[in-house]
Amino acid sequence: MASLKRMRPLLGTFVEIGCDQSDKSAEHAIAAAFDVIEKLHHLLSFHEQASDLSRLNQAEGKAVAVHQHTLRVMKLACGMTAASNGLFNCTLGGAMVQNGVLPNHSSPNPDSAGTKASGVANDIQINAHTITLSNSIKITLDGIAKGYAVDCAIAQLKRFGVKAAWVNAGGDLRVYGDLVLPVHRREINGDYVSLGGLQNAALATSTVTDVYDKTFPGKIVGSLTSPALGSWTVMTHYAWRADALTKVACLAVAADRAAMVERLGGRIVTVK
Amino acid sequence: MKNIHSLWLLPVAAIVSPVYAADYLTVEQAQKAIFADAQSFEARPAKLTSDQQDKIKSLSGLRQRWDTQQIWRAVKNGKTLGWFVVDEVIGKHEFITYAVGLSPDGHVLGVEIMTYRETYGGGVRNAIWRQHLVGKTLADPFKLDEDVPNISGGTLSSRNVMDGVKRVLAIQKVLNLVE
Repeated sequence: MASLKRMRPLLGTFVEIGCDQSDKSAEHAIAAAFDVIEKLHHLLSFHEQASDLSRLNQAEGKAVAVHQHTLRVMKLACGMTAASNGLFNCTLGGAMVQNGVLPNHSSPNPDSAGTKASGVANDIQINAHTITLSNSIKITLDGIAKGYAVDCAIAQLKRFGVKAAWVNAGGDLRVYGDLVLPVHRREINGDYVSLGGLQNAALATSTVTDVYDKTFPGKIVGSLTSPALGSWTVMTHYAWRADALTKVACLAVAADRAAMVERLGGRIVTVK
Repeated sequence: MKNIHSLWLLPVAAIVSPVYAADYLTVEQAQKAIFADAQSFEARPAKLTSDQQDKIKSLSGLRQRWDTQQIWRAVKNGKTLGWFVVDEVIGKHEFITYAVGLSPDGHVLGVEIMTYRETYGGGVRNAIWRQHLVGKTLADPFKLDEDVPNISGGTLSSRNVMDGVKRVLAIQKVLNLVE
């Protein structure tokens, strides 16, 4: 089967988009899908000072007019923060800045600015066109934006008439149509383990390790429970949800883990 | 209880097999992908003096490790649409060839990954990896290019490539690649 695939550096990682046709229309579709991801990259980046997200985080409690995409992803993030009782928490931006994981745009010392390490879903007020943050919280969309971008890219490919395709943003993967994508997971020790074939579904993996990796300084903060070491893979219909639920999976109490992820619309993929 | 501040969260690649290296674009394809309107591409390979290499480092903060750089001028109706530069990133775990399109006034028009190779884990890992290639993955219903294994995503951050782009912008300035 002829196939077409492209890769670009976006969202802080490498994004691959592929489909099972290789004609001109597929090339246009893939380019358009990358355009959407690039747009989201600029809207939702914590690192870019002019992004919707950075403007929101610097608004000091004032309402900020944002793009429809920002409204949508914030609604999803806020809803998941509430539904997961904060195991997924989009209000941890302050803690990420204090830990040096994310850059500080507002003042030399995040503590002196009165920024709170974290908050709750109720600290976020979303209106028709604006968002207001209260209680000096900062939003980070690290656990959801990549997945959301994958979903938007998939929607764009469908809009362009591509029958079957996949998008993978550094591990946040979604595939649709008449193709089965064999998926492997890289373990902490560097081994690869087959997870089987993925069809019409999304999948994301997060790994909790006690070894610092400077190429990806993600950090688990603000949780009362101790995250479980290991790789956590979650399968769902949408990539944003899979992305968010990997955080729930690694922070949930072991006895509740599977049920909790299931209640929130996902399934933990275990390696046989 | 483990101290949670010593635990790190890594987004891990879900890898599409057979994986581990992938070719995306040839030079010609990458040229067309970034400069769709160009009628021709004039090869303008640059030989950088050590003085120029020093200037590139001071402008970009990144060391120019080689003294030749593959550069093309994208041309339409005799006018310069921009500059097409092929560059490489050699990291601890990755070897990436990519293309950058630059406008005559020094803006990035596009970045395309041409080839992506992961060297994660080295030789031992390769042996383990080959074992995975044998058997069912090769018989999977959807096969990509049969000779070149494919990779999708990576645990790696793309910072190396973004740094590379910064260096390429410095090259443009030092070589005065304008109209």
